[in-house]
Amino acid sequence: MPVRVVESSAHSQVSGANQGHALPPAFTLLSVGQAFAGTQNVSSIQKDEAWRVNVRIQGCDLDHGYLCGTMEALNVPLADTPVVTFWEGEIVDTKNYTFFTGKWEATPEDDVRHWSKFPSFSPLLSQVEIDGGKSLDLSNYPYIFMRWKEQYFVNVGIDCGLTIAGFYYVCFSCSDGSINGFYYDPNSSPFQKLELKSTNEGRSGFSFSSYQLQ
Amino acid sequence: MPASASTNRPEDLIGRLKSSEGEAKLKALREVKNQIIGNRTKKLSYIKLGAVPTIVGILAGASESDVSLIVQSTAAIGSFACGVDAGVKAVLDSGAFPHLFRSLSNPDAKVVDAAARSLRMIYQSKLAPKYDFLQEKNMEFLLSLLNSENENVTGLGASIITHSCETTVEQKALCDAGVLHRIIYLLEGSLNQRDASLDSLATIVKNNSDVISKFVGLKGGTALSTITELIKDRNPRTRLLACICLIVTGNAFPCYLQDIGTKTKLILILVELLEEPDQVGDEAPFALANLIADKEDLQKLAFEVDAVDKLCNFLHKGPVQVKRLRGIFLALGELCSKMEICRSRFLSLQVLNVVTDALNHDSLDVRIAACICMRNVSRSVKNLSAGRFMNEMIVTSLVQLLNDPSTLVQVAALGAVSNIVVDFTSRKSIFIQCGGVKELIRLSKSMDTALRLNSLWALRNLMFLANKTCREDIFLELTSSMLASLIHDPEPLIQEQSLALARNFVDGCVDCIEHVLADNGVIINAVGKQLWSSFKSEVCIQGMYMLINVATGSEFHKEAVMHQVLAPEASDCSQSFVTKFLQNNDSRLRTAAVWCVVNLTYPDSPGGSNRIERLQNAGVISQIKKMVNDPCLDAKFRCSKPWKAYSEKGFACSSVASLSKGRTCLSAKWVVVI
Repeated sequence: MPVRVVESSAHSQVSGANQGHALPPAFTLLSVGQAFAGTQNVSSIQKDEAWRVNVRIQGCDLDHGYLCGTMEALNVPLADTPVVTFWEGEIVDTKNYTFFTGKWEATPEDDVRHWSKFPSFSPLLSQVEIDGGKSLDLSNYPYIFMRWKEQYFVNVGIDCGLTIAGFYYVCFSCSDGSINGFYYDPNSSPFQKLELKSTNEGRSGFSFSSYQLQ
Repeated sequence: MPASASTNRPEDLIGRLKSSEGEAKLKALREVKNQIIGNRTKKLSYIKLGAVPTIVGILAGASESDVSLIVQSTAAIGSFACGVDAGVKAVLDSGAFPHLFRSLSNPDAKVVDAAARSLRMIYQSKLAPKYDFLQEKNMEFLLSLLNSENENVTGLGASIITHSCETTVEQKALCDAGVLHRIIYLLEGSLNQRDASLDSLATIVKNNSDVISKFVGLKGGTALSTITELIKDRNPRTRLLACICLIVTGNAFPCYLQDIGTKTKLILILVELLEEPDQVGDEAPFALANLIADKEDLQKLAFEVDAVDKLCNFLHKGPVQVKRLRGIFLALGELCSKMEICRSRFLSLQVLNVVTDALNHDSLDVRIAACICMRNVSRSVKNLSAGRFMNEMIVTSLVQLLNDPSTLVQVAALGAVSNIVVDFTSRKSIFIQCGGVKELIRLSKSMDTALRLNSLWALRNLMFLANKTCREDIFLELTSSMLASLIHDPEPLIQEQSLALARNFVDGCVDCIEHVLADNGVIINAVGKQLWSSFKSEVCIQGMYMLINVATGSEFHKEAVMHQVLAPEASDCSQSFVTKFLQNNDSRLRTAAVWCVVNLTYPDSPGGSNRIERLQNAGVISQIKKMVNDPCLDAKFRCSKPWKAYSEKGFACSSVASLSKGRTCLSAKWVVVI
């Protein structure tokens, strides 16, 4: 089974302190094989621009606060084909990860600034400002907060002119299966918004497949 | 000189062993003994010439006072048995055993010493007969050996325990007889006594928590500290054996192995012992694997002290002896079993090829260990997604192993295959082209439960998000009647995997849905029958998702699901399985049941309102109504979905007004908008 990649971070990993905390429950719409579709706004001062984006969940390990999958950007300028990246996610469960990133050039101030963009975060703000949220119990919270970090390009070379240096602050709504996110990279346009909806890919209902690693 | 050389030829010496003249016989015995010591070829040559029965005959015929003859013949017998199974067999076949045991009672200390040495050699072989501790006289005799002043005799006692103690009853009998006390005392003796005692101690306490709890209380509770001290001993074998004793104790009672310093020390010592050229180095990786198995904290510690690098470096050094190779693969397998960081390190060290090559190793044990290592490394979704394992070299070797004469190898290979075929790239076809599907389907028909289960597991993972061609290839090869019969397999675990396979087959593919409805609905009927009858949550969950996926299709497909959901003839119980599952304690099953209703009543499906009415009549809707405050958020949120959608589409509109005003109110009342 997959596990989170351990980084030398003092902030993001809560070791032992909250072992009594329940993990977030499994959500069918966030399970392996599920697909999401939407856009990422990449507008800059010069022009308005949005890329169509498809996401598919490939792995999920709630014990380790881990999620991973692919992200496909469809109408990327200067790219001949859709650009697919593989990303790994940290689920803010206050056991494995807190709201403080502690890496990827994100300070606690950057974290709070980005998380605060999600309306569902506001009830948590005061506690997060104190301890990154590690004393919060989010196991029954109707939203799941995550960080998604792209790890590699799947179908193009690193010389494709695109960067995956940043990462996404992500919020999944357990009620409607929608995902909102904000891309953070100190060298890119700030607050690029990612908006995704759970998709049934044109079917008359929701379909679910599954695998089980040995 | 040629003349003297000919006198020491084996044939001549054997002739002289039969001499009636005592001195000549003794001289010949000494010569044979000297020739065979440490010389396997010579031993085999003498065994072939029938020397062993002759020498055993000398021992049997010697009088008690014939000390030199007894000592020399006994020593020669021990030498034949040392490290050569053919020698042990020849010694046992010649009836030497009772004569050697008799010699232990000889008044001459040299005879006793020689007999004890020879018997220890024999007890080091698996061929030695088991000693029955449960006979009172035998236990008394064993205690007399352990209480002896002679180091070889106490060593023999310990060796007998190590060789023969296998069951918990035997462990308890030894413990009750006070053997542990004596063994702990012997730990303070010579190097040989210490090692023999540690070896037997590990055997007596292994996997027996009752005995372990008695052991840790010995010597006023200091027995464990004595062992902990011995892990730092100068002698490598002592270090290894002390580590093994601590590991066995810690595995049974983790509270006795909590100190991070001791745990780290254990890992470091075992990794360092890999450098030992002999049996110690061979056994060290097994002990390491045992120490870290299923313990993420210890795996993390091992990673931090570079255990992955050190083990991998060993594989790079060149050919590794079979037992050690197996142990290293098992230790690496354990290291890579839970933590991605270990897998990532392993893959960066370029040893995947070594593991792949070992899949074709002559030794069955190495092939199994290589499969286990490959299985655990391939738990990395990141690398599965990159298609790292789906290459012809790995796949061809694993597919070949599916034909291995050993079932154990086949099962181990299926474990690795199950992971590798998950592959998220479009390279599943490589597996099919290598003949993998045919082999998996062949094994899914096996009489062996483990083979059936694991081959279906692999097929289920292969089917996951596979393209339509790949799915149909698998299905057509398997056939609908075979899949239906596997869904009805007597083993629930096999039912679960078969249903998951069917679920993945129909995920998002209308043509595939058609396949499972063909042949008079043999598959969907099998699924429905299981859902009406099974009490196993895991089976029902997979069955429900299969129906959920079918219900994403056309009206005809949804009606086929309705037929299963409401079929009264399927059970004596009038309550639909969906209603039953909505009330199940397992939240996953409740959620699946809600999803099934969601898809059956999906907006825009023409027959949706009619299906709602039928579900209402079957009591499904009223059950969902009760779930608006379900403790499982996933189930709770999905509960609002069908009714929310339905009200949005105009549940109360004139065309469906006949569906009753009451239900309109009902939906308005319990639609929960979060």
